[in-house]
Amino acid sequence: MTTTLTAAIPPEARWSALRRHIPYLIVYGLILALGIYGTLNSDRFLTDRNLLNIFRQSVFIGTAAIGQTLVILSGGIDLSVGSMVKVSVLVSALLMNGQPENIGVAVVATLGLGVVVGAAHAFLITRLKVAPFIVTLGTYSILRGIAYTISTTPIGRAAPPVVQFYDLKVGPVYALIVAFFVLLVVLMFVLRRTRFGRYIYAVGGNEQVARLSGIPVNRVKYGVYILCSVLAALTGLFALSRSGVGDPNIGDGLELETISAVVIGGTSLFGGRGGLIGTLGGVLLLGLIGNLLVVLNVNQWLRDLIEGAIIVIAVALYKQKGRQ
Amino acid sequence: MTEPTEDIILEMRNISKSFAGVHALRDVSFRCRRGTVHALVGENGAGKSTLMKILAGAYVADSGEIVYKGRHYDRLTTREALDSGIAIIYQELNLLPYMTVAENIFLGREPRTSLGLLDSKRMNAEAASLLNRLGVNLNVRRLVGELTVARQQMVEIARALSQQVDMIVMDEPSAILAGHELEILFSIIESLVAQNVTVVYISHRLDEVFQIADEVTVLKDGRVVGTKPLEALTRSQLIQMMVGRPLDEVFPKSRGHRGETALVAQHLTTDAINDVSLRLHSGEIVGVAGMVGSGRTELARALFGADSLRSGSLTIRGERRRVSSPNAAVRLGMALVPEDRKTQGLFMELPIRDNITVTILDRITRGAMLQRRLEAEAVQKARGELAIVMASDRQEVQDLSGGNQQKVVLAKWLATAPTVVILDEPTRGIDVGAKFEIYQLMRALTDRGVAILMISSELPEILGMSDRILVMHDGAIAGELSREEATEEKIIHLATTGRGLAEASETQTGQAID
Ligand SMILES: Nc1ncnc2c1ncn2[C@@H]1O[C@H](COP(=O)(O)OP(=O)(O)OP(=O)(O)O)[C@@H](O)[C@H]1O
Ligand SMILES: [Mg+2]
Repeated sequence: MTTTLTAAIPPEARWSALRRHIPYLIVYGLILALGIYGTLNSDRFLTDRNLLNIFRQSVFIGTAAIGQTLVILSGGIDLSVGSMVKVSVLVSALLMNGQPENIGVAVVATLGLGVVVGAAHAFLITRLKVAPFIVTLGTYSILRGIAYTISTTPIGRAAPPVVQFYDLKVGPVYALIVAFFVLLVVLMFVLRRTRFGRYIYAVGGNEQVARLSGIPVNRVKYGVYILCSVLAALTGLFALSRSGVGDPNIGDGLELETISAVVIGGTSLFGGRGGLIGTLGGVLLLGLIGNLLVVLNVNQWLRDLIEGAIIVIAVALYKQKGRQ
Repeated sequence: MTEPTEDIILEMRNISKSFAGVHALRDVSFRCRRGTVHALVGENGAGKSTLMKILAGAYVADSGEIVYKGRHYDRLTTREALDSGIAIIYQELNLLPYMTVAENIFLGREPRTSLGLLDSKRMNAEAASLLNRLGVNLNVRRLVGELTVARQQMVEIARALSQQVDMIVMDEPSAILAGHELEILFSIIESLVAQNVTVVYISHRLDEVFQIADEVTVLKDGRVVGTKPLEALTRSQLIQMMVGRPLDEVFPKSRGHRGETALVAQHLTTDAINDVSLRLHSGEIVGVAGMVGSGRTELARALFGADSLRSGSLTIRGERRRVSSPNAAVRLGMALVPEDRKTQGLFMELPIRDNITVTILDRITRGAMLQRRLEAEAVQKARGELAIVMASDRQEVQDLSGGNQQKVVLAKWLATAPTVVILDEPTRGIDVGAKFEIYQLMRALTDRGVAILMISSELPEILGMSDRILVMHDGAIAGELSREEATEEKIIHLATTGRGLAEASETQTGQAID
């Protein structure tokens, strides 16, 4: 080909690449700022114990938020994660019933339940063409209903090794935190360096273009919804290791918290833009705020207020990025 | 042509604009006279749209000033521009698909009743009479999303003209228009000029520029090359100004030996096409002509598995295949470059790299891992082959000029090394230089044995590039013409009436399947 088109464009033009990173700068900047604020205002904040606790508490939202990120990146949403966690806690506690030899069955069954629920979501969304919001709003209610039908009071019991897992340490940090970061890194890798990952961004970017590009759009959706529900089920297992019993109140509001974390992390609710680094920031920021309010003895109800304000302000800031 | 008056309505002085290091405009001065048609031309990425967006207040210039109707502005806001009678029809359509034609036309300026409620009766009546005056036959209650893009463009024009304007900027309005709609557009422009309205007309179709414009300003790489009255210019002089060197506008020759049958379609019927049969040989380009709405795009979609077949069959390289989805089509070596790159061809918000390699991810994956090196090579190859102008392959596609976007769509399909390529309006919105590059590329592909089906509304392109021509009418193939016998007249006749000119009685059935 001849080169008739040689408009001079300097190589330093990295604007669009930079533009994508602005949310990360804001989130992690906020985390840093709050961290400094906490350190200066309380001697209970910057201690190994407190920091490890922030991380450990963040694992629960974090694990579920990873799945939520995948779904949102693909242009969907999953409102059922909280209810899925709830059912998972109950099912695993009942199946385990305090017996170590039941752990395998309980774990497999719980994660298997995640596969079934995720596949059902994807089926309804791809075959029957129902909007993800509606489908998962439906399963939010259904799963919640099932959970409370099973029991309205704590039921079943975690096996001792599961309970011990909660306090287990690998070197200086909790095993739970390590497990979470392994998951996070693996899925970051999946998003960035595998075909499936690219397809998620493509489907979220523009489903029609994706289909016409030969991408198996339906398969991608099965993938993200199943992963999301399985990760919610795993969150349920983690939660059981903390509570020790099948408490049906676990998981309340988690769907909205995961969505908050994803959005604060700069992922577009319309899909196609964002990623797990941002979500991690969102999760840690929420965890940090919660912790600071406790450490600084601030009213708990302020937490919701501040959380809400941060979501609105953060997203408003991101929107300003390319405008000039 | 109207008499040029000395009355300068608009002067843009020393305008510069850059986007994070990309100089889109450098020290550009532009002026136009009241009541004339002023063409603005230049290669893809020259800065035409950017200049006009600054005028309309969509972008703010880094430096420079605007003098409009004697008033000086450092910057115009969109509101100021509108209120002082500047209307712009953007290159990309900006309509709300779930609103009606009338609602779109009056968006933001809806007529109210005395109680302050929407007066939809009056709105519909006014929209209808406006469209009527423009000579567009359209039901104002229809949803815009249901209209063809050409019709949507007419709605866009009607919206611009629904208020008092002194100056109207049309950014490639004709790119998606053909035939009848194009005539309507020209007559609208004529009547605007008669009312002393100034028209800035951006187009890559130079014939049109010579037909309707009084003066032309040429931009290249963000600078003004010159402003000239069109009487003083020949076509090749204008092209030389645009591309900076002489350009031979000759269509690359077909080597004329067609190979084996690559694809046979028999009796394809979908919701939009009826009993279409065709045969494609490797090494040939088959042109598909026809009016907008004659089912050409739907034929492409049916072949590619994007629309489901009611009946009919496909045979690819001798084997009968069920192409139930684009995914299946791609795996059989097919590629479809769709007509609307923005909604069907590209992920506008994803980087160029991801757009190019999305079709070949399996080939650049080893184990489970995408290989960055292989990916970079694929991008580099495409970039070289198509001369895509980009700052970096991480740039989002939406920041590229229209022509370079089109090249990215081509690149993403060429990367798959397809054997059957369907091109739907391959040179829409592409500058002359790039256009002939694409023609050469098409020939290079057929020389390698690729079969090409090319849908186009530009007759010179159809006549210049096709080895055979299929003409569609009303969802069916009205006739087939060989390269030798094809003329513009015959094609237009077939396309409008569905029947051949008197002597062409063999086109009755029109299907070249034996
Ligand atoms: N929003 C933006 N961000 C970054 N770069 C941009 C943006 N808009 C335009 N550009 C760049 O500015 C240059 C001029 O673009 P412009 O769209 O004005 O070209 P054009 O002459 O209208 O081309 P075409 O004929 O293809 O429409 C191009 O290099 C383009 O990539
Ligand atoms: Mg343009």
